[in-house]
Amino acid sequence: MINGERNGVPALQVKNLTKTYANGVVALNDVSLEIPAGRFFGLLGPNGAGKTTLINSIVGLARPDSGEVKVFGRDAHRDYRYARRMIGVSAQEVNLDKFLTVEEVLLYHAGYFGVPRDKARERAEELLDRFALQEKRRQRVNTLSGGMKRRVLFAQALMHDPEILFLDEPTAGVDIELRYRLWGYIRELNRGGLTILLTTHYLEEAEELCEEVAIISGGEIAARGANGELKERYGARTLEEVYLKVVGNDLVR
Amino acid sequence: MTLFDRPFRTLLSREILRFTRVWMQTIVPSLLTSLLYVIVFGLALGSRIREVNGVPYLEFILPGIAMMTLITGAYMNSSWSVFDAKRERYIDEVLISPMSDFQITLAYTLGGTLRGIIVGAGVLVLGAPFAGVEVAHPLLLLFAGLCVSFTFAALGVLVGVLATRIEHISFLMNVILQPLTFLGGVFYSVEMLPEALRVGTLFNPIFHMVDATRYATLQVSDLVPYPTFAAVFFLALAAFGAAWWVVSRSKRLRY
Repeated sequence: MINGERNGVPALQVKNLTKTYANGVVALNDVSLEIPAGRFFGLLGPNGAGKTTLINSIVGLARPDSGEVKVFGRDAHRDYRYARRMIGVSAQEVNLDKFLTVEEVLLYHAGYFGVPRDKARERAEELLDRFALQEKRRQRVNTLSGGMKRRVLFAQALMHDPEILFLDEPTAGVDIELRYRLWGYIRELNRGGLTILLTTHYLEEAEELCEEVAIISGGEIAARGANGELKERYGARTLEEVYLKVVGNDLVR
Repeated sequence: MTLFDRPFRTLLSREILRFTRVWMQTIVPSLLTSLLYVIVFGLALGSRIREVNGVPYLEFILPGIAMMTLITGAYMNSSWSVFDAKRERYIDEVLISPMSDFQITLAYTLGGTLRGIIVGAGVLVLGAPFAGVEVAHPLLLLFAGLCVSFTFAALGVLVGVLATRIEHISFLMNVILQPLTFLGGVFYSVEMLPEALRVGTLFNPIFHMVDATRYATLQVSDLVPYPTFAAVFFLALAAFGAAWWVVSRSKRLRY
């Protein structure tokens, strides 16, 4: 659907992005990345490699020193209202508004993104059903368990019907059952045309879900390609082996 | 895209919900504290002080007490709201929404402004039967109340963004705002001060705010009223400008 409508314009184009922290650490060093519309893309790398900084630079939470970000061909900085409406983010750390109930979290989020009230209500019902949150809808989010919060976070990111979804470590601290359910659901969303950028520590998760991955290390893209292609290139049987080779760990050699 | 679009209205309504939902913690204590001032300073001590500037003492101090409550309410609301949202990172949701930084600053500021107005008006309404105050210029009073509340709500946003610890918020309140308020002529006329202090008081912005409110309520003031109203208005603009600048530039929000 999106591929057809957008005539091959990539969902996301990152060009020469550089970000240095005040303490001199270079979080992103001239990173360029292009993600075609509809792709399930994985971003892998050790802690502190720059994954979250990259995501934050795209959505405007981090200010890169230089470089360019385009969302469906439009500049994410100049045209920020458009770009931000296109993107949904499920953050690594649970960051829900503790004053609100589950249902309010979803409705307020929709409002922040300009979704009309009726449409928001409809969408909230759908997502409350989908994430089995109906029973908890009137409960304040700070009273929920970790797994429940994670589900709310997920539903929230989808409330404004984004065309690109950023999932930053979505299954960290999630039990097996929920993890499989989430996997099933994201796959389904991706089949429906949603572009997904997933960062994860769980390599089997990337192996299972992503069509293409980039491995980021020390603020640079160290390798990038389709899963099969990478395995072939590095003579590896699994993505985990590829990963360990790329990030310079010689345990498997 | 207009300024008052749906995203803006949603954030503003969230800000209002935040203090109305817990009104027992946000509205009631402010009113009780102010009533204590009215009782202690007005009814108990006031019987020993006849008149200030030709007005019975309790009547003289009531607009100032209302203004003090309004300042605290406005400042506390926005500073805490922004600080909490920043500390627990749910402000990110707002920062990555299609709202401009101007809209974000304005929504947080107006939320605080409204709480300030509610508690300030509450004090006047509750205190009026004791003091027998009749408001001389209701529209001017509303104007002054809005400007002052807006100023301190904007200041609260600024502090909420910059504060890295809770103590920073209370430090500004207890060490700067409270003294300036007490020295701003809430409980006395500047005429009663020695010359040096009287001149010093002129540099206290809260004095001008209290004086404007007193004029609007009682038609009694230490200063020439209309320039004071202009000053109060420009202070509000300046405070908002500073808050906007901090929201759009601070590395504490967007690093």
